[in-house]
Amino acid sequence: MRMLRSTLALGAVLALGLTACGTSTPAETAAPAPADTTTAAAPAEETTPAEETTPAEEAPSGELPKGNGETIYLVSKGFQHRFWQAVKEGAEKAGAEYNYKVEFVGPQDETQVTEQLNQLKTALDSKPVAIGLAALDSGAASELLNQIQAANIPLIAFDSGVDSDIPLTTVSTDNTAAAEAAAQHMVELIGGSGQVGLICHDQTSTTGKQRCNGFQDWIKANAPDVTVLEPQVAGAVDLAANTAKSMIQANPEIKGIYGTNEAAATGAIQGAKESGADLVVVGFDSGKTQIEAIKDGSQAGAVTQAPVKMGYETVIAAIKAINGQELPKVIDSGFEWYDKSNIDDPAIAANLYE
Amino acid sequence: MTKLLELKNVSKTFPGVKALQNVQLDLNAGEVLGLCGENGAGKSTLMKILTGIYTPDPGAEIWLQGQKVDVRDVNHARDLGLSIIHQELNMVPDLTVAQNLYLGRPGSSKRGFVDDKALNRRAAELFERLNMRINPADRVGDLSVARQQMVEIARALDFDSKILVMDEPTAALTIAETDALMDMIRDFVTPETGLIYISHRMPEIEEITDRVTVLRDGQYIDTVVTDDVEMREIISLMVGREVSGDARPRTTVDSDEVLLKVEGLNTKKLLRNVNFEVRKGEVLGFAGLVGAGRTEVARAVFGADPKESGEIYVHGKRVNVRNAGDAVRAGIGYLSEDRKTYGLLLEQDVKYNAVLAAMNDFSIGGFVLDGKIRTVGQEYSDKLRVRTPSVNQLLGKLSGGNQQKVVIAKWLVRNSDILIFDEPTRGIDVGAKEEIYTLIEELCAAGKAIIVISSELPEVLRVSHRIAVMAHGHITGVLDNAEATQENIMELATLGKAQLEGNAA
Amino acid sequence: MSTQAETKQSGGLPPFLKSSLQQIFVFLALVLIYIVFMVVAPNFASLGVAMDIVQQSAYIGVMALGATFIIATGGIDLSVGTGLSFVAVMAGVFLAGDWWNLPLGAGLLLTLLVGALVGLVNGLNISFLGLPPFIATLAMMMAARGLALVVSDKQTISIKNPQYIWLFNGEIIPGIKNAIVWFILLAIIASVMLNKTLLGRYAIAIGSNEEATRLSGVNVKFWKTLIYVTAGVFMALGAILYSARFGFVQPAEGVGFELYVIAAVVIGGTSLAGGRANIIGTVVGALIMETLRKGLQMMGVAQEWQLVATGVVLLLAVFIDNVRRARAAAV
Repeated sequence: MRMLRSTLALGAVLALGLTACGTSTPAETAAPAPADTTTAAAPAEETTPAEETTPAEEAPSGELPKGNGETIYLVSKGFQHRFWQAVKEGAEKAGAEYNYKVEFVGPQDETQVTEQLNQLKTALDSKPVAIGLAALDSGAASELLNQIQAANIPLIAFDSGVDSDIPLTTVSTDNTAAAEAAAQHMVELIGGSGQVGLICHDQTSTTGKQRCNGFQDWIKANAPDVTVLEPQVAGAVDLAANTAKSMIQANPEIKGIYGTNEAAATGAIQGAKESGADLVVVGFDSGKTQIEAIKDGSQAGAVTQAPVKMGYETVIAAIKAINGQELPKVIDSGFEWYDKSNIDDPAIAANLYE
Repeated sequence: MTKLLELKNVSKTFPGVKALQNVQLDLNAGEVLGLCGENGAGKSTLMKILTGIYTPDPGAEIWLQGQKVDVRDVNHARDLGLSIIHQELNMVPDLTVAQNLYLGRPGSSKRGFVDDKALNRRAAELFERLNMRINPADRVGDLSVARQQMVEIARALDFDSKILVMDEPTAALTIAETDALMDMIRDFVTPETGLIYISHRMPEIEEITDRVTVLRDGQYIDTVVTDDVEMREIISLMVGREVSGDARPRTTVDSDEVLLKVEGLNTKKLLRNVNFEVRKGEVLGFAGLVGAGRTEVARAVFGADPKESGEIYVHGKRVNVRNAGDAVRAGIGYLSEDRKTYGLLLEQDVKYNAVLAAMNDFSIGGFVLDGKIRTVGQEYSDKLRVRTPSVNQLLGKLSGGNQQKVVIAKWLVRNSDILIFDEPTRGIDVGAKEEIYTLIEELCAAGKAIIVISSELPEVLRVSHRIAVMAHGHITGVLDNAEATQENIMELATLGKAQLEGNAA
Repeated sequence: MSTQAETKQSGGLPPFLKSSLQQIFVFLALVLIYIVFMVVAPNFASLGVAMDIVQQSAYIGVMALGATFIIATGGIDLSVGTGLSFVAVMAGVFLAGDWWNLPLGAGLLLTLLVGALVGLVNGLNISFLGLPPFIATLAMMMAARGLALVVSDKQTISIKNPQYIWLFNGEIIPGIKNAIVWFILLAIIASVMLNKTLLGRYAIAIGSNEEATRLSGVNVKFWKTLIYVTAGVFMALGAILYSARFGFVQPAEGVGFELYVIAAVVIGGTSLAGGRANIIGTVVGALIMETLRKGLQMMGVAQEWQLVATGVVLLLAVFIDNVRRARAAAV
């Protein structure tokens, strides 16, 4: 018993650390984007990223022949969450345009690796003309991926991609570019100079790092009058709120805080509210609390991934593959900046979820 | 002719206690030597010294076949051919027979890997040689105690032991199993080997031993040839201590009112048809050997352990005692032999310990009445002459005798009429013992009914008006103090199982 | 060794002071840490910061008040973290406009009931099924997390009930958040319960020696269950403070809170072995952790190091307490 107790005490110490990386909100969906984004447009060159388009979308779709109702199978990481529902929506839109049937499946939540493998097996067995996959665990799927290749079914990776040579392309969000867009908006909103804080939701995943570093690097390169405070990591709302408050109290001159996901941004708003500071808060992703905050003006805006477009592009890429067209290694599914002015715009609203 | 084994001048001092004083013992080849003595006489200590578990005080000599040896530790003892089978079996219940046999022995693993097949093979060969039918792959925990004991014996024999010590080997055995053990002992003893047999059970001593060495209070008393003496002579050697004449109860029982009556008490494990009653102002002593069932009676009556059947009457009324709470409500208090584990909160203070059993009288609506606790705690602390600087003292800081007084206080505060003392003076200084006896007498005078369980016969004789003697879960006799002697108590306590089962039938 | 000799050695410090030593030590540690930060952390020396520390430690602190009773019995409760998110989700279900939208009183009562129910299940599993507290509450930890996600359908629930928000996050006394008032009030209640009621006495008795307590005729099963129920109610109060602060509830929050709760109790001088408990210590323990975090955050120290610092303080607190007690026992 004594042994158990001391182990427990040690566990308590260790787990004080675990909360830093163990907490995630249901809204968190993003996954690592490939380091090499050949197609991403540099947001700095454009006035507003909202208008930004990616080369993939510019490709004249009219050249693609229509199908005869064949099935394209998409195996996603999740199903119920609004993000995946938006991906599904985009995928079905593309399917309808080109007369393909889109079968969209995904496990109950993003921990169910084996369920996803079963679904992938089912997809393979139904012999579709193409398969799209957002792998939860690339390693676990490798056997099935080989079978898909052997069956000559084109495979398209989306969201986080698949760590393998088999997928013909990967459709994903360029988190670095999105973070740069957030930085650009932040600099504009605070008037080009002053201190800004940075609350990162996660320091260990590629997504988390890109969202954090993209912001810092852009400001360093493009806004010499803006100082970024030492980034703090807080993946849960209460921790983010306390962190934001401490930031504000330690740096009374602070003008804005950027949070890299829903929890971090919501925490930043809470912290600003509780300390009575008037701050520009810029966030990432969507979710109920961010949408409400943007509508009531306590949050300036946020960048969101474009799940609808992700679904659409994945199916388009699949159709191209079916027709033997060349595909780039990576297709950026883009992102959108949204604020009070465009939040109800149907094109934006399609990408947002509560 | 050189002796197989000779021990000379063996002493052992534990902090505060002289467990052995200049003890001697010798064992001939081809002989079974009985080793007898009361609880605490030093038998087990002596054997632990012989087998390297304890180191004796300087000056002790151990001679093996005419050679003086110095037993360094258990493994060295094994190398010398000395093995012991302890009272409590020394095996890991969750491992197999073979795994237990070779546990911790060199060659049982190769580079940290255990080869179970090889172990099982070796064990099977061993059992075949010994004519034992035991499957080496069985889990030890699944075997009966007797078979576990056989495994222990096999282990001892596998070391090529010349001298085997058995410490109370039949404590947990049935009659048939005991007979089988006797056969095994006869097989073991050859002209090259010898066996030392420790037991309280006179019939077994009579049956199996050639000679008997008697210890008392850590001292060597005598060695006799078994066939030349009556068993009662050995008993009187064991208890031969001079009992002073005044060490008898100073109160008499005036009342005929029976406060506690127990009828037909049985438990699954041990107790068989236990009946007794205790009157107001009376002390009923419980004597018997370790494992006879005295504590089990107390715990079953108190509801601390489940009973299979039996009725308990308090003040003539039947009470249903399912747990300790029921017993306490009926007015029974139990003072365990192990105060620290079962009686006290060592980290709490005197006053809180004193009122623990009666907290309902010291609270209103769930709120504790600290003032009343302090007053009553002080009152009883004074009444029982607890030596403590204040009632706020933590109990762990008091001496054993004073801790015992606080436990008594706990039941007095609860106003219990029936008090069961289990080894009331264990771990208490000699000087403080008499004080506890006096307290028990005062409680009698105040009309309590008291049960005193004790392994020390002088103590039982000192405090009890009547003495119930137990053996193997039976009450083998109830003696009035006037007729009781250490000898006739021991006689009742050492009745063999066969005699008892015979009586019962 | 005579009894006189033994009793003499217990002289020296009066017992009251002795039992308060750990509290005094923990409190001094808090003051010391606070002073250090006043010197080294920019802008730390302000009333606002001090208030923040108390407010932010309130929900962990309130849960730790209940956990103190459990740990006093020698038990442990791993379910307070996810239990908090489950109870908070239920508070949302009872009170949120787009859910049941109950009146405040009814909603609060039901919320406390849910907390009590979580504690009751823990208590029954431990007392009557004989499960070790570690296992029973580990199971509850998992179940509560699952239930929180199921009930909320993984959605964020907004609690916009203005009375609710005001009662637990407003300011009755200008400048002092109600959460702080609640924390103090509940600490006083817990302190009275521990020191002045049967529940507290039996918690200590069970932790000192469960078997001896049982053999004294105390219904240990009943009291242990009641202690877990009590801790469940405190957990619910923590959940209420938590959800009122943010005005919304996310079902996945609260993971890992249990370890902060245990750390607060242990830093405060309550023994994991049971038999010794200290409410003021628990409060100070919670404050120490939050002060450390706040100070390091304001210094811009990365979160990794904040965690290391908290771990070191936890070890130090337990170590020093052990040394102190070993000395006391050796005298």
